[in-house]
Amino acid sequence: MDAREIIVGIDLGTTNSLIAWAEASGPKLIPGPGGEDDVMVPSVVGLDERGGIASIGHEARLHAVERPWTTIHSVKRLMGRGVRDLADEISRLPYRVERRAGEEERDVAAVIVGERAFTPPEISAMILRELRTRAERHFNERVTKAVITVPAQFDDAQRQATRDAGQIAGLEVVRIINEPTAAALAYGLDRAEQATVAVYDLGGGTFDVSILRMEGGVFEVLATHGDTHLGGDDFDQEIVQLFTREIREQFSLDVSSPRIKQQLRTLAEGVKLRLSERETAEVEIEVGEGKTYRRSLSRGEFERMIQPYVDRTIVSCSRAMQAAGLTPADVEQVVLVGGSTRIPSVRRRVGEVFRRKPYTAINPDYVVALGAGVQASILAGVERDVLLLDVTPLSLGIETMGGAMGKLIPANVRVPCQASETFTTFKDGQTSIKINVLQGERELARDCRSLAEFELRDLPPMPAGIPKVEVAFLIDQNGILNVSATELRSGRAAGVQVVPSHGLTRDEVARMTREALAHAREDMTAHHLIDVRTTIQFDLNKTERMLDRYGHLLAEVDRRALRASLEELRTFAQQCDDPEQMNRRREAFNRSTIPLAELAMTAALQAEEPKAV
Amino acid sequence: MTYPIKCLQCHAERTSPIVCDGCHALYPIPQTINNFDLMGMPRTFDIDERSLTAAYRAIARRVHPDRFGGDTEEVRTLATRLSAEINRAYGVLRDPLKRAEYLLELSGGPSAAELREVPGPVLAEVMTLREEIEPAKAGGDATLLNTLRNTIEERRRAMLAEVRRRAEHVGESSPEERAKFRRLLNAMKYFDNLMAELALDPLAADTGGST
Repeated sequence: MDAREIIVGIDLGTTNSLIAWAEASGPKLIPGPGGEDDVMVPSVVGLDERGGIASIGHEARLHAVERPWTTIHSVKRLMGRGVRDLADEISRLPYRVERRAGEEERDVAAVIVGERAFTPPEISAMILRELRTRAERHFNERVTKAVITVPAQFDDAQRQATRDAGQIAGLEVVRIINEPTAAALAYGLDRAEQATVAVYDLGGGTFDVSILRMEGGVFEVLATHGDTHLGGDDFDQEIVQLFTREIREQFSLDVSSPRIKQQLRTLAEGVKLRLSERETAEVEIEVGEGKTYRRSLSRGEFERMIQPYVDRTIVSCSRAMQAAGLTPADVEQVVLVGGSTRIPSVRRRVGEVFRRKPYTAINPDYVVALGAGVQASILAGVERDVLLLDVTPLSLGIETMGGAMGKLIPANVRVPCQASETFTTFKDGQTSIKINVLQGERELARDCRSLAEFELRDLPPMPAGIPKVEVAFLIDQNGILNVSATELRSGRAAGVQVVPSHGLTRDEVARMTREALAHAREDMTAHHLIDVRTTIQFDLNKTERMLDRYGHLLAEVDRRALRASLEELRTFAQQCDDPEQMNRRREAFNRSTIPLAELAMTAALQAEEPKAV
Repeated sequence: MTYPIKCLQCHAERTSPIVCDGCHALYPIPQTINNFDLMGMPRTFDIDERSLTAAYRAIARRVHPDRFGGDTEEVRTLATRLSAEINRAYGVLRDPLKRAEYLLELSGGPSAAELREVPGPVLAEVMTLREEIEPAKAGGDATLLNTLRNTIEERRRAMLAEVRRRAEHVGESSPEERAKFRRLLNAMKYFDNLMAELALDPLAADTGGST
């Protein structure tokens, strides 16, 4: 009876975020209030001094220079990370990021605004909520399920953080898919039967390259490689550093205030964009005391500045091909994704490496969101012929005695995948075992990323070395780790308590979800309004059907009156913005339909009678 | 158990141990089943890779958790576990060395953990090769590296031929023969590791080929 539930696809980007869904004719972006072309929401949140949301998206970005401390951009780079991982990053940001207070063992990064501390998932949730509201306005219906994309190189903690952000925004994240894979999905639908494709995805903050084999609707990722801290932001930063150095040399001025840092960042971004179109770009900055810094930057100069970064992406391409067991000659198509692939030298280098002209039929800013929309339609059961088979980007292991990384699942293994390992105790009567779970390619535990500490609990007390606890590490289709444990001698499942190294616990996510709801009262009204409208529509349809079938049983005058009040409520529901008022009208209307409902019931019973007797 | 058997949900006959052809009901993997039966492939070393891939895709399509988006948590978890098992089985059967090892273990032969030895001369041979690889890599001597690569590849080919011969008759072989088989497989791993050390950068390799 109900229409199929809507599942949206979201590209939660470092610089911009987009939302899409797929209808029978294919995936489409959902526009905002600005009309058809208003599809990108800058991933920027403007907070007020007390920590409330002042603005999101374009408007927030406009205030970045005047309010650098409270304008939060590029939060994706902080997701699932600790302050220790982020030292370099933080020094470049105009807003404050600190280790969350009151934590002994965990290192959870928090954005500090005034008195309040926000974790990166909470900030991301604000962007997600904005996208969700767009979709709800578009469909005039509640939207509670989403597919969200992440860089293929995201580790478990970063994926979990993304899922937490969804939950805080009131979205069940039904699937997390890798951005390059999403791009392939968007491209693949109307493409040849068989192809080996390389997806080169250089965005604002992250770089991925994935090699895929597409055949008969199966999208099989052969290998993936990349860097979660390499993207357009780094290019901007190179320009900022050049300007800063020259301003210091020419005017003996130190530009370190957040405001000037932000101003330079904005200018640098503009210069970068212009250099994709033109050979040179001019800049002028008032540096105070009536002095002006002027500079002309050529494309060649810019390309030399970013060359080390581009070189790193090329090394990644090589590693991915090696892992897939292929050479460039085997790759039949190269697809470019992400805004940074508009840079001519990036295109040129990619073309040289794969010896073919990269393919860019779909806007590189849109393609990931469109692919997420396709995956959403697969999960909704609308699209049945397509199947995604992805891989885990990083090796998974545990810290062994002596601080080594004991690999359990190697990188580039197809997910879902599972490995198990048996653990025992070292002391008599020991009832719990701690396991440090790692992701990374290095030999030593301290050089890998610690995902979480798992504590196996409630073991029956036995002499040392006697208990045998089998722990299953299952990486699901989202690239997220699930751990379960069984004590083999008793056959009992052991309790597993997870303390994420940089992420949030289940309780924290639940608390943040409640807080976010309280802070979004306006949204609540919007949701409520949609709910009431949907209910009214349902009631109206039901009454209409009854009138068609049993209307003749009513007196003519009553029938006319009911038709009139039905139309009246329909119009009212479209115009009214107050859910309470709408509910009152709905109840009144439903009372007026009681006589008809009773007649209908009697008629239905009479029709049944011969069968009943 | 021999298939087809009846589906407990819809009573149609099902040909796969883990999923019903008709109603898509999922079943946990039976304890006794081997990877060949799981994938519906004949138990042999000379497996047809194309049919294996086709079989894998067909079954992966049917048990992948994305197909069960609207089902209960329980069903989705089962789909995830089954998919992990299918992926594992496919990984074993696709790789000739792992496939041979698996056939050896199925017939009661020793595992790598149980018998770690390699045939006597192999260790010395590997050691000599490694001593040549180090300086060749350090010095970037492309010609020497290529020669080494060819030498190792040649050895691997010869060993793989023996693996094939032994794998096809592993069912009727004696415990001594199975131990020999295990030592041969252990030795091959050494050569695989050497090959990995000599792995070419695909970009460089390609450039080399075109000049």
